[in-house]
Amino acid sequence: MNTEAIIDLLYKIADDQLIIGHRNSEWTGLGPILEEDIAFSSMAQDKIGQSLVLYRMLNDLGESDPDTIAFMRNADQFHCCQFVELPIGEFDFSIIRQFLFDTSEIIRFEMLSSSAYEPLALASKKFKGEIKYHIMHANIFMKQLGNATEESVKRLQDALETAMPYALGIFETSEYEDAMMDEGIFAGEATLRNKWTERIEEVISNTALKLPDIGNIEPKTGGRYGKHTAHLQPLLDEMAEVLRIDPGADW
Amino acid sequence: MYGGGNLFEPMSKDALKEEDPVKLSEFEARIERGEKIEPADWMPQMYRRQLIRMIEQHAHSEIIGALPEGTWITRAPGFKRKLALMAKVQDEVGHAQLLYSAAETLGKSREAMINDLINGKSKYSNVFNYPAFTWADCCFISWLVDAGAIVNQMANAKGSYGPYCRALARITIEEAFHLKYGHHCVIHLATGTPTQRKMMQEAINRWWKPMLQFFGPPDRISAHTEVLMKWKVKMLSNDGCRQQWLDMYVPKIWELGLTLPDDKLRQNPDTGKWEYTEPDWDEFKKVINGDGPCNKERLAVRRTAEERGRWVREALRKPKSEYVVPLA
Amino acid sequence: MKSLDPRINRLDVPEERNTDFRKDPMDQLETYEVFIQPKVDKPFQHEGIVHATDQDMAFVFAKEQYSRRGTCSGIMIIKTADVFTTAFSDAGVSIYQKIKPASDPEDQKVNYEVFHLMKRGKQHTHVGIVRATSTEDAVFQAKMILDQGKPVFNVWVAKSDNIYISEVAYRDIWDTLPEKTFREAIDYRGAEKIKKFKDEQGSQK
Ligand SMILES: [Fe+2]
Ligand SMILES: [Fe+2]
Repeated sequence: MNTEAIIDLLYKIADDQLIIGHRNSEWTGLGPILEEDIAFSSMAQDKIGQSLVLYRMLNDLGESDPDTIAFMRNADQFHCCQFVELPIGEFDFSIIRQFLFDTSEIIRFEMLSSSAYEPLALASKKFKGEIKYHIMHANIFMKQLGNATEESVKRLQDALETAMPYALGIFETSEYEDAMMDEGIFAGEATLRNKWTERIEEVISNTALKLPDIGNIEPKTGGRYGKHTAHLQPLLDEMAEVLRIDPGADW
Repeated sequence: MYGGGNLFEPMSKDALKEEDPVKLSEFEARIERGEKIEPADWMPQMYRRQLIRMIEQHAHSEIIGALPEGTWITRAPGFKRKLALMAKVQDEVGHAQLLYSAAETLGKSREAMINDLINGKSKYSNVFNYPAFTWADCCFISWLVDAGAIVNQMANAKGSYGPYCRALARITIEEAFHLKYGHHCVIHLATGTPTQRKMMQEAINRWWKPMLQFFGPPDRISAHTEVLMKWKVKMLSNDGCRQQWLDMYVPKIWELGLTLPDDKLRQNPDTGKWEYTEPDWDEFKKVINGDGPCNKERLAVRRTAEERGRWVREALRKPKSEYVVPLA
Repeated sequence: MKSLDPRINRLDVPEERNTDFRKDPMDQLETYEVFIQPKVDKPFQHEGIVHATDQDMAFVFAKEQYSRRGTCSGIMIIKTADVFTTAFSDAGVSIYQKIKPASDPEDQKVNYEVFHLMKRGKQHTHVGIVRATSTEDAVFQAKMILDQGKPVFNVWVAKSDNIYISEVAYRDIWDTLPEKTFREAIDYRGAEKIKKFKDEQGSQK
């Protein structure tokens, strides 16, 4: 099997999961209502837990150990999409990002459940329940906030428009798309994007929100190839601040 | 997490005069038998007020307590610590949720409690008015401040008010994780590299006094609380809690080769009691009344969080909704 | 405001505010009672409340507040306002002793869920369903059908139509709970490291 392609795929998913989980953990203790604070924290923990599973898989393929690859790389070595590295902003942006990103993620893992790369197929099946809950959470908030007050609808609409170019960057293709399709590892970003568009359309159609004209938006790409916004390096510096005090130490 | 040093309302001798003597004696007999009081039961006004005050202070301490450790949530070193600290701080927010709910059963709404916290009308544990300068401070809190909270919470879990006991039963299970996690962190720093050891020792030096103060002023200068003890509202004296904590944790700190910044600290071999330099209780009062290193920040942050979430809650609120006091 | 917490620095917390903070009424939404079923063959047990906007959201909140550890196979949600509660009894006397018939046989019967409190300070447990014409009648029917003789100190009833139970198809949302060992005390063993440290200290002396 094409190991290079698998490694590339694993990195981008793992990095997405780590960075979005890290970002969402910033809400802990600062959420809009206690109950949501707790729910959002759990979902961030799920994401980071999932990234760990994927980094272990990379470790099995000869990459460094999870703590090293997650905490010691620089921004240009990260393969996450730019979407996940953006600051949490206000709750409107965070919930829109959850909705757009997690919808792509549930479909990605549905697709990967039948991957020819067995370990990834197994992990994808295992994550299913967790992500199902995340989607339930996102959709409930979309339905509530997207149909409520003038302010909440406007905030969500604005956030949706800010987020969309970055969200489309999720589907930036890799240099291994064809190889992965040929070998049944992953059915590809284009398929994923099509399914994603259908699902977000459906949820948004049940709100007072308007879906931006996706076809005419230039996706913010580059993340998959190590090109990031100015937000990622400071995030990574912060994440590794303690570890770097004494990288050889057991913390 | 939460310590002793509850601030109770001063009680006059006449406090119970207005109460129906038959109901009062039934109420006290129920507590005497070891049965819990439930929200719908008759209870003396003073019992209700003191409980609200105590449980509310406890709830505030949990939500404010999420901030000092939250300081390090994005910087925890490595996956194991990162996941654990996220879960730990989340638990503290969860504890606030459980405790506010218990206080609500006594008739004070969560809105009113949050107002009183942010406006400085009700208190929270003083220890959270101190800053977590380094990762080691965060580890100190997870292990030793939580250990102090556990001493208090285990005692209170045997108290008389059903909803509070139920909340504490859940909370103490989670605290076992906090304690073990915190200890694990401190063990790693104390037995680690010279840099790590130094960090840990410095954190201990910073936290020693606030930690001793955590349990509240000594009994000899505290308000009298006999009735509250009889009603099983207050379960252990401040000194009792402090002694228990010293007994359990000083040896565990010493065994890691760490020192405590108090030459007088020793266990009296005759009485078994720990002796220590009395912390400055005037300073304690000053800090609890708002003039500590972080009081302003803690409340300002809570307020900002509440204000930023306001549009969300406004959007979620249904026009016809009506508040009903939770059941248990 | 400058903080040691980088997250707080990103929030732009104002240094001074001159007004009192005041929440609107119902700012914290309505409350919902949460019952957890730890395993498929176990009854639902009351665990507490969540503040939420409707049952769906209450479920989403309850899941992480009340079932983020251990095992769970289902959650039942009832709006607090939809639960009818009897008075409490004590000292070994069952509340059912005070319950009298309350039914008008002409009225239409519907299903009610019934919960018992078997010990003060413990939790209410789901014990079954009765058909009744009113909440009062439901308590009386519960006395006739569900009273096992042991003293019951408090009874809750709620119309079955008003309850929310998580779908069986959603049980897999709890599947990975056993793997979340980082939330458990057992994952943090330190004794060996302490022993090694002490041994080293000893050998240095
Ligand atoms: Fe704790
Ligand atoms: Fe706590």
